[in-house]
Amino acid sequence: MKRMNKMKKEYDDIEIPPELDNLVKDSIQKAKTTKKKPSPLRNWSLSVAAAAALFVGGINASPTFANSLVNIPVLGSIVQVFTIETLTVEKETYQANMETPAIDGLENEGLQIALNEKYIEENRALFTKFEEEIARLEEAGSGHLGMDSGYEVKTDTEQILSIARYETTTAGSSSTEMQYDTIDKQHNILLTLPSLFKDDSYVGIINTYIKQEMKRQMEEDKNIAYLAIEGANVEFNSIEANQDFYITADHTLVISFDQYDVAPGYMGVITFEIPSHILQDALVGDTYIQ
Amino acid sequence: MFKIEEGEPFVMTKNKKMEQVEQFLIENQHAHYRLAYSYVKNKENALDIVQDSIFKALKSIHRLEEIKYLKTWFYRILVNTSIDFIRKHQRMMVMDDEVLDGYLPQTEDEPTDIDLLDALETLSPDEKSLIILRFFEDLKIDEVAAILEENSNTVKTRLYRTLKKLRIEIEKGDLE
Repeated sequence: MKRMNKMKKEYDDIEIPPELDNLVKDSIQKAKTTKKKPSPLRNWSLSVAAAAALFVGGINASPTFANSLVNIPVLGSIVQVFTIETLTVEKETYQANMETPAIDGLENEGLQIALNEKYIEENRALFTKFEEEIARLEEAGSGHLGMDSGYEVKTDTEQILSIARYETTTAGSSSTEMQYDTIDKQHNILLTLPSLFKDDSYVGIINTYIKQEMKRQMEEDKNIAYLAIEGANVEFNSIEANQDFYITADHTLVISFDQYDVAPGYMGVITFEIPSHILQDALVGDTYIQ
Repeated sequence: MFKIEEGEPFVMTKNKKMEQVEQFLIENQHAHYRLAYSYVKNKENALDIVQDSIFKALKSIHRLEEIKYLKTWFYRILVNTSIDFIRKHQRMMVMDDEVLDGYLPQTEDEPTDIDLLDALETLSPDEKSLIILRFFEDLKIDEVAAILEENSNTVKTRLYRTLKKLRIEIEKGDLE
């Protein structure tokens, strides 16, 4: 072991360059400041301030805009949806772009806050998931991962605001999930699927229609495939009582399924417009769906 | 030296954890640099590796579950970063010894102690890690095993084999 001691001495004698100390301290600082996204709290309040400024600015700067507030009694018309926070990751093999929507102008502030907080929370949770996934991939060597989330205003009428939020994960193949919120701007309430109907008979009515429609579409177009065909391993059985949905500007109910839920992946997110007349008997009223 | 006492609480605030890691990185920078240097044999690359490892460590700090694993955790990052670097630059660095001998003029110089470190160069990066961590950094077999993510028995066997190989190389050097 004498030789080992000599070797250790040589090792200990490896000259330490004078710049090491600064490099270490700099690296720590840089790693800390560029670490992940900037502090969520700061981000949030900044965006809120910016959004508020924009709104106030809009009223002050444009007489037409200000007039429109005076002339139109329906508050619903100035409800707006905008991007309040964008979380991004841009690395060689990892990309994320997540846009969080926020609603402004709802009379029911409780509802507005609840929705906005839900959007922010969900997008941040998604971002955290993304980071964890990257860490896992890095540990295993390397990998590719992309995540996109964002929103789309499906319907914005005097009465109805439907916001769709999507979340796409890409790792080799990709999958997309959709979520919707439909708000009655005049009564300031968030609509749920069951709330539109007298009882749960709508589930059966919609199921029957969707099964028929799947069959019809597949017969018409060979490129269309659903998992509903008899004999298929996975069959479409039933929508959930709280199935994702939105309402179009012409008062039609649209039922939505995430990618892979009822069809092979290449079909993407699936939506079915349900003809209003078959729902008539089950509906509470014709306010939303006609 | 940074030491962690027995019974140190596992749960600590994020800031406190960050502070401890920073302190550890600053206090042990010489050891970290030497470790990186002994893989890449050049100042710039060794500095790069230290920097890279600090980045990796601080960005994945949430995965350090207990502060008592700080040392093995960071050494693992450092060793992996060094070995990755070598692999990426292997084409430039490695040449078969026998081929090389044919080209080099025979030296008549007395073997000096420097040849001892050169003996390390005949080892694969993994073998090098074993020697450096166990004997130069004075880590326990268990710690070496944790850093290299192997079990202790495997580490012992490979260490024994590597020592044998090393001794032969050193004796050869002595004979010339």
